[in-house]
Amino acid sequence: MQHKRGALLVALALALTGVFALAAPQPAQALTTEKATARPNEDGGDGVIGGMDTRLTWEGTVEGGEEVTSVTLTLPEGSTFDGSTTRITALEGLKRMDVTGEATPSGPSITVSFDQPVPEGSLLRLEITNMQFPSEGGECVVSGSYESAGQTHELADSKPIETIANTPLQSIVNWLDEQPWVEAWNSNQFLGMFLKPQLLVTSFSSLAPGWILCLGIVVAAYPFAIALGLLFAMLKISKWRILRAIAVIYINVLRGTPLFLQIYIMFFGLPMLNINIDNNLLGIIVMAINSSAYLAEIFRAGIQSIPQGQYEAASSLGMNYVQTMFTIILPQTVRRVIPTVTSDFITAFKDTSLLSSVGVMELMMFSKNLTTVSGNITPYVAAGIFYLIVTLPLIKVVGIVEENIARSERGGGPRPKRRADVADNAAAQMKEVAADAC
Amino acid sequence: MSSMTRRNFVATLGAAGALALAGCGGSEQPAENTTDQTTDDQTTDQTPEEASYTLVKEGVLTNVAELGFSPFEYIDEDGNTVGFDVDLSNAIAEKMGLTCEWLPNQAFDTLVPTIKQGGKADISIAGVTITDERLEDVDFSDPYLNSNQALIVAASSSYATDDLDTEEIQIACQTGTTGDAWIQENLPNATRVPLADVTAGMMGVSTGSYQAMVIDLPVAQNMLAQSFSDLKVLEEIPTGEQYGIAVSYDNPGLKDAINDALAQIEEDGTMDELKQKWFGTTEI
Repeated sequence: MQHKRGALLVALALALTGVFALAAPQPAQALTTEKATARPNEDGGDGVIGGMDTRLTWEGTVEGGEEVTSVTLTLPEGSTFDGSTTRITALEGLKRMDVTGEATPSGPSITVSFDQPVPEGSLLRLEITNMQFPSEGGECVVSGSYESAGQTHELADSKPIETIANTPLQSIVNWLDEQPWVEAWNSNQFLGMFLKPQLLVTSFSSLAPGWILCLGIVVAAYPFAIALGLLFAMLKISKWRILRAIAVIYINVLRGTPLFLQIYIMFFGLPMLNINIDNNLLGIIVMAINSSAYLAEIFRAGIQSIPQGQYEAASSLGMNYVQTMFTIILPQTVRRVIPTVTSDFITAFKDTSLLSSVGVMELMMFSKNLTTVSGNITPYVAAGIFYLIVTLPLIKVVGIVEENIARSERGGGPRPKRRADVADNAAAQMKEVAADAC
Repeated sequence: MSSMTRRNFVATLGAAGALALAGCGGSEQPAENTTDQTTDDQTTDQTPEEASYTLVKEGVLTNVAELGFSPFEYIDEDGNTVGFDVDLSNAIAEKMGLTCEWLPNQAFDTLVPTIKQGGKADISIAGVTITDERLEDVDFSDPYLNSNQALIVAASSSYATDDLDTEEIQIACQTGTTGDAWIQENLPNATRVPLADVTAGMMGVSTGSYQAMVIDLPVAQNMLAQSFSDLKVLEEIPTGEQYGIAVSYDNPGLKDAINDALAQIEEDGTMDELKQKWFGTTEI
């Protein structure tokens, strides 16, 4: 690997000297290439994919004593400028100058001729939107020529722009682009804005890492939240007033302020104290602390819902308070609070979306970025589906558990059917008898 | 008879509405009656033109913006929406015989979709750079101001621009801005952190959560001077971008009317006045 990189460097150096050797005999460059870059067009990624619309930005400086009347940019064979639009910007320092012109594409090159010559000392920028690099990808060098005082000169080559070949995902999107039903679907303004099939496909793949991070944060935070919650629940039912006061303050402050505020305090406050914690870790901490307050209340209610008789029975067996708590009360509490805790888990999972406001790269962040790039609401809908993938099964679980608990509270497990029938019959007979008696 | 009373009722409502909205312009209270009349006169004069554009709300130019972008549009200590763009849109509305209203703060990246979608706001005048990508979704008025980008770092740091192009460096930006796009293209290896508002980004750079931020130069200069003296502009990035007023393609008449108003504002010196007021110079 090292060797390979070394070899590449040598090759690059050789290539560069080659360029300089070629450039040297020419008269002083009047237009020097500053840079050439391309806008990433991989949906949700940062690659520049060939064969798909993107934007090429080329910058050059007009050197002293020269004026430039036209510039031709040439890309490797297979690139196309057809259907592109060109924005011309000429600047002197930071001041914009009025330069207009016309762009004529021809195959892999484009010629921009200016209505007014670009004066010396100015920075010239050409932004060519909706052009395409070769679909096989690779390193693309922008070369070309320019016209100055009626003479044509060669342009120095730019640094290569890294482009990649089309990805399978992008092929699906391109296939969707061609389908008539997709076009019909998208022509409906609502469907096209909220449920654009192409964007749904790309959103699903590019939102996945954000979804994993969301799940990761809440799953990592939850054990801590449960432990903390249990601790504060015990404090709140403690005999000592000070412990109770601590618990009440902790729980009420955290439950009484928005999570958003807590996130802001932690993310902007801690760094000011020179405490720098990784963003994701800090996200876990905030979520754990916030959830713990809610869980404390849930546990407290759960513990207090256990009938007094259980304590009395335990103490009649000679158990002390700790033994009673851990072997008698808490096991029963756990079963009772499972539905509420699961609901709280769902809430916490959804609340991770607030972390996007402080730069944690979670689901909402990814979809926000995609929405920005595409100007379409579909990524948000895709994010919604991702949230539902987790929350719907959990909601179902809550329902089942609640049903089970309710049934067992009614009188313990499934009843033998026949005996119920017998009982019903007996009751009916009793009624008949009673009616007869009347 | 009943139709008469109904008309009277509507007229009274309209007058009350106009009175209420006069507050939007700020301190032009004394001329209440006269403004009312001129509005009426103009609407009658412009009957042929009137049908050329539609507004979300009759007689009101409804604006949508991200209101944390000083000195262009921000909320001052008294809770009023103020700024260069605010004064400019008031001036435009005045030329068009309308009043102007601002929708509540909205994230910058939702402005173009809002205008494209229509139904909520007529225009977005919010320091929106005219780009070919945005032009695919919405139309723009003639450019009204030139701008550039700024790369901001902590004043105590010793970074050069090229040092920032590594993964360990976190660079904040406002989601969906041209600064956001600039980072993607020019510092592709850095970790880009798109945020909803500019203040959060600057705060982050100032506390060290992020190492740098890219934002429009006038905003950077203003905010650094106002509240972030511990930051500095590392590089003024000459982009020469131009702000325009975003208008829906479904409303071409509105764009023409705004362009007319803009031309008048340029001509009668109002534009220079506003630039002087907000930037302390007309050379911007």
